[in-house]
Amino acid sequence: MFDLALLSLRNIFRNVRRSTITVLSIVIGFCALSSFGGFIDFTFEGLRETTIRTQLGHMQIYADGYWEKRISDPESVLIAKPQEIEEMLADLPGVSVITHRLSFSGLASVGNSTVNVSVIGIVPELEEDFADFETVVDGRNLRPGDTEVGVIGEHLQKGLGAKIGDWVTVMTSSVGGVINVIDFQVVGVVKTGSKEYDSVFVKIPIDLAQKAQETDKVERIIVLLDDTNELPKLLPQIEQRLAQLDRDFETRTWLELAGFYTAVVSLYTGIFNVFAIIVGVVVMFSVANTMTMAVFERTSEIGALRAIGAPRIMLVCMFLLEGLGIGLIGGLLGIATSYLISYVIDFLGGIPMPPPPGMSQGYQAYLSVTGNVLLKSFAVTLLASIVSSLYPAFFASRVQIIEALKKS
Amino acid sequence: MSVILLKSVCKSYLSGDGRLHVLKQTDLDIKKADFAVVAGPSGSGKSTLLNLIGGLDRPDSGLIEIDGVELSRLTDSKQAAFRNQKIGFVFQSFHLIPVLTAAENVAWPLYIKGVNRKQRMLRARELLSNFGLATHIDKQPDKLSGGQCQRVAIARALACEPQIVLADEPTANLDHKTSVEIMDLLCSLNKESDVTFLFSTHDQMVASYAKRHLYLEDGKLIENAVDAHIDEGVGCV
Ligand SMILES: Nc1ncnc2c1ncn2[C@@H]1O[C@H](COP(=O)(O)OP(=O)(O)OP(=O)(O)O)[C@@H](O)[C@H]1O
Ligand SMILES: [Mg+2]
Repeated sequence: MFDLALLSLRNIFRNVRRSTITVLSIVIGFCALSSFGGFIDFTFEGLRETTIRTQLGHMQIYADGYWEKRISDPESVLIAKPQEIEEMLADLPGVSVITHRLSFSGLASVGNSTVNVSVIGIVPELEEDFADFETVVDGRNLRPGDTEVGVIGEHLQKGLGAKIGDWVTVMTSSVGGVINVIDFQVVGVVKTGSKEYDSVFVKIPIDLAQKAQETDKVERIIVLLDDTNELPKLLPQIEQRLAQLDRDFETRTWLELAGFYTAVVSLYTGIFNVFAIIVGVVVMFSVANTMTMAVFERTSEIGALRAIGAPRIMLVCMFLLEGLGIGLIGGLLGIATSYLISYVIDFLGGIPMPPPPGMSQGYQAYLSVTGNVLLKSFAVTLLASIVSSLYPAFFASRVQIIEALKKS
Repeated sequence: MSVILLKSVCKSYLSGDGRLHVLKQTDLDIKKADFAVVAGPSGSGKSTLLNLIGGLDRPDSGLIEIDGVELSRLTDSKQAAFRNQKIGFVFQSFHLIPVLTAAENVAWPLYIKGVNRKQRMLRARELLSNFGLATHIDKQPDKLSGGQCQRVAIARALACEPQIVLADEPTANLDHKTSVEIMDLLCSLNKESDVTFLFSTHDQMVASYAKRHLYLEDGKLIENAVDAHIDEGVGCV
């Protein structure tokens, strides 16, 4: 096999110009694929981390039955004494922040304008990380020690016509079903990136939210880890500790909660797969063309090899190895070139991207050329090279010996 | 003992207006260690005959037995193995593999046979040295002259120690002097070993080397038909 591989390799270098063009087309296809894959992986990663670090945490803890009864019977699915749980989990290595929230919806009014809002009560001292989600456009964000203040979304501010320092009245029903009213003073206007969210977003200290809901309980506990990759390891440990309490809980990981993220991933993955097929087909045409020409040019050699007793399968292997060789060379150069491209993009400071749908800010894109992306691109180009060599190789093994020997 | 035995072999080709019968009930019997030539006008079917004997093509009818084995009974892959081990081919235009060195070309039939690398390279070097190509062992065919290429091809034909060497116009692409060298080489090989040689030629000088002369005309082989034309003195007898 070694000798046959050597023969195939020498045959590849025999027509340097043609092999170069073929290899080049593989490299281009490879890089197109790896760059696109690298771009979407970068997007996934960015989206994943933003989703986790600014909204969902790595996991959330609810009272048992929360998802079933949160509308019909919200009071029964609130968590009492969250500090007890938080203290219990805080010393787990890898856990970064544990905080809790209480959210509700209501009607906010300033003067004559009234707008539907979604209020979230947070612990300001624990949510500094999460606050990165919001960009303060005016005023400031919540601070530890804040009491009757709140920040509102950019579009909500326009809808209400509120300014910094204005008092907003929020009417809601408490967990007991009683109509209740709270007031807070606007200290900041923020934007989250999502327009829809910005037009209903109200953030207040949790004490104020608990007052509005007439409860001392919380809705959910949010756990943020140091490293997203640690989640599969830490999740069972957290659940085990929760089980020691005499109350029942439900947990959800960020992935279960991140509907948008999952939708984006499946959309882009679909596009990537279609793209991979296109690249594969292009590479196939290129390699098939080269291999067919090689077979025709070397017909008399094929005849000679058959005459001296080479079995058909040897000819098949010879040309398959040649296709494989071209694919391998193209793939390896493709890996090198992909790295080069990603370095150049890093060096240039990324590719400026327009805001994604539903978002209000653009971003700088980089390529995360990971082993996974390279492996996929490599598999596609190599497979295409081998598959497209199949027919020429088969054809070569079927030539009529004496006809082949007549060609020179 | 017959090494090559043909009985009533027929071979025809489809040509523009009907069938062209090249071999018509041809018989042939060649004994071990023979040195035979097939002469005949162009288009008489010399190549066709050698291709059938070499198992590169199949006859329409009749029997071809090589070293006691009936070729038509062999499957395609068995025929390939048979060619590899029993028959050596020398072609008019050498048909060496351009990307392989002289030694690798000679070793290739042994590779097909399954001989290990060390042994086959040893054998290839030995053969090439015997043929006066010791300094050309690692050269590729495009760096060799026609005569050198044909000697490499002969070495390749002998690599697996075949029973028969078939040479279709082995000197047609060579000048007179080189043709003489090649024929001297084949002749001495035939004397040293009991390998059977069967070759075809147009060239009377080349034909005169043969111990046995066959003439192909109208699809039939005629024995000794060209003897009259040979000038005495040269030859392998
Ligand atoms: N594949 C084929 N199809 C049709 N006709 C063929 C084919 N091969 C050979 N022939 C014909 O058969 C006849 C014998 O051909 P062959 O090559 O055996 O002759 P030859 O004696 O070797 O001739 P030369 O001395 O020119 O080499 C020729 O007339 C040739 O045209
Ligand atoms: Mg001929």
